Amino acid sequence: MLNFRKKSKLGIVLCLLMALTLLVGCSGSNETSDKAEAPAEKQEVIKLGFLGAKTGDVANYGIPGEKGMKMAIDELNAGDGIMGKKVEGVYEDNKGDTGEIANIATKYITRDKVVAMVGDPCTGLTKVAAEIAQENKTVIFSAGATGTGVVEIGDYVFRNTLLDQFAVPSVVDWMVNSMGWKNIAVITSLNNGYSTALTPVFKEALKTQNTKIVIEESINDGESDFSAQITKLKKANADVLVFTGYYREAALIMNEAQKQGLAISLIGGDGLYGQDLIKLGKTAVEEKVIYYCGFSSDQASAETSKFINKYEEIYKEKPDMFSAQYYDAVMILAKAMTDAKSTDPSIFKAELAKLKDYPGVSGNTTFRADREPVKSPICLITVKDGNFVVLEKIPVNIK
Amino acid sequence: MFWEQLLNGLTLGSTYALIALGYTMVYGIVQLINFAHGEIYMFGAFAGLFLASYCGVNILVALLGAMAFCMLLGMLVERIAYRPLRGKSSRLSALISAIGVSIFLSTLMVLLAGTNTRRYPDVVPNHTFHLAGLDFSLMQVIILLFSAALMLGLQFMVKKTRIGKAMRACSQDLDAAYLMGINVNRVISFTFAIGSALAAAGGVMVGIYYNAVWPYMGTMAGLKAFAAAVLGGIGSIPGAMIGGISLGILEIMGVAYLSSSYKDAIAFGILILVLLIRPQGLLGQKISKKV
Repeated sequence: MLNFRKKSKLGIVLCLLMALTLLVGCSGSNETSDKAEAPAEKQEVIKLGFLGAKTGDVANYGIPGEKGMKMAIDELNAGDGIMGKKVEGVYEDNKGDTGEIANIATKYITRDKVVAMVGDPCTGLTKVAAEIAQENKTVIFSAGATGTGVVEIGDYVFRNTLLDQFAVPSVVDWMVNSMGWKNIAVITSLNNGYSTALTPVFKEALKTQNTKIVIEESINDGESDFSAQITKLKKANADVLVFTGYYREAALIMNEAQKQGLAISLIGGDGLYGQDLIKLGKTAVEEKVIYYCGFSSDQASAETSKFINKYEEIYKEKPDMFSAQYYDAVMILAKAMTDAKSTDPSIFKAELAKLKDYPGVSGNTTFRADREPVKSPICLITVKDGNFVVLEKIPVNIK
Repeated sequence: MFWEQLLNGLTLGSTYALIALGYTMVYGIVQLINFAHGEIYMFGAFAGLFLASYCGVNILVALLGAMAFCMLLGMLVERIAYRPLRGKSSRLSALISAIGVSIFLSTLMVLLAGTNTRRYPDVVPNHTFHLAGLDFSLMQVIILLFSAALMLGLQFMVKKTRIGKAMRACSQDLDAAYLMGINVNRVISFTFAIGSALAAAGGVMVGIYYNAVWPYMGTMAGLKAFAAAVLGGIGSIPGAMIGGISLGILEIMGVAYLSSSYKDAIAFGILILVLLIRPQGLLGQKISKKV
């Protein structure tokens, strides 16, 4: 969903160059510009840098993220801070721009001397900042990047979002062994990067089970006529429809199915989450559309509902996946620093990598040996009486 | 499956035809490709949505209301954006003006309604008929019958009424028609009104049929309808009808029997082929047949 790396490579290189000049420019006034030489323990406050867009196309991921992060920091400071030291957030707006995030990451590290950066929610942007963080020995903790090649950048790079390649095998297992759905129809939205990336993950997982893909169709985001695809689907006798796109098209597909008298369930990723699914689909999506996710504000588990209530009290709105993940990221960082008894990123990063079964508000998180996050259990959400409700919670195997 | 897909294609095609008629009539008289026509269709869909959601009217009132609204809108667009340019500047200026109006109207709707896709209230019961092994819905029947009625009505008006005669005269020679005492501006204004009303009817029916109305719905529909008008022979009314219906059927059959990945490529590929063989379009041969 958050694969955001359309900017050209040239752009990234140019931005890195710009960032480099900034770095050189700053080092003149500061004798100990090398981050490793400046012991973080001497700081009176512990600073965390926010990475995310507050304006622009992807601001709807960054804005709730910032709120979650602020809430976590306020909670820490209301208590003992981190090992008695106050925590301070620095919040710059990277506008979802690769050049901007490079400048901001460099500024956080050289001028603000942050111990860790939290964000970005987008994969492409996270990678730009992660290169800079790794080079300067500062921890970066992405709360949303789902693409590949993120934690591979280095041992200072972490993330805590649900990864499709871990979740989908469990979802498929549930489809086949709990529901008995073996004849599968697959629909992909061709002009949607999230959908074209998720379809192969589903097909890979379907191959390992005793299933058969009886029909495979494609649509485009922004279309509204799916009559031909549904007429074909009707003749294919599929047990279930896997649709990897977004909520709008899911609702329209289900409307068409209802119109043609085809009663079939539709399963997909959290791209299906959106109030418009219910507004557009109405009775056609009731108990028919199912999606998996790590966090849903409608799931009301004990630890999460405490967070939700407090968030609603402060911000007068429901938290989303990003607010929960930014909140968790700050809390996990605080826990790692406390356990390592150090605020030096090169020391507490080892403690961070050992995280196991952390009961966060966005789900239980464990880091594998390669630092990839596994969130278990995950929720299967469906629509009932015009609301999103948890259908079932299923475990994810940690390999 | 063939017959059901054919029905899907006919339904989609009739809506293309309704929009294509507006392109072809305006082109027939003033040789202008009215690129704002797709947005008129979108405004029609929203006008119907507004009437059905907030005034709780039935489908017929929503249809007629949206058509009346778009008649006025089409005339207004012609008065403000095209008439001042007519005769004074090149046709290219009018075309640029049309693109400007198109952008203005779609962004205006974004401002008014947001970018979300909206659903029509259930004005037509979701009833399915079974006839000789064929499933079809009530809405499909309504679209087919209402489109056919509108197209027949249009043919009658153009062929048998005084204003229709004036339109045909204008399409042959605007200046000569003016010299013969025809109020040319009124005829052009009337042509925009009729074309816009047909597009609005298409917009409302598509909105109800697919349960989806959004500010950018006119862009692709407008483009496809324009292609349909060209396919049928731009300037020819029966051509627009046949072009629209053929394009709809081609698209659906492409998905049904070839591949859904190449839906638009198949439809437009055939369009290019037809134009290579018959550059004037299917029915675009005789000048006198223009509107």
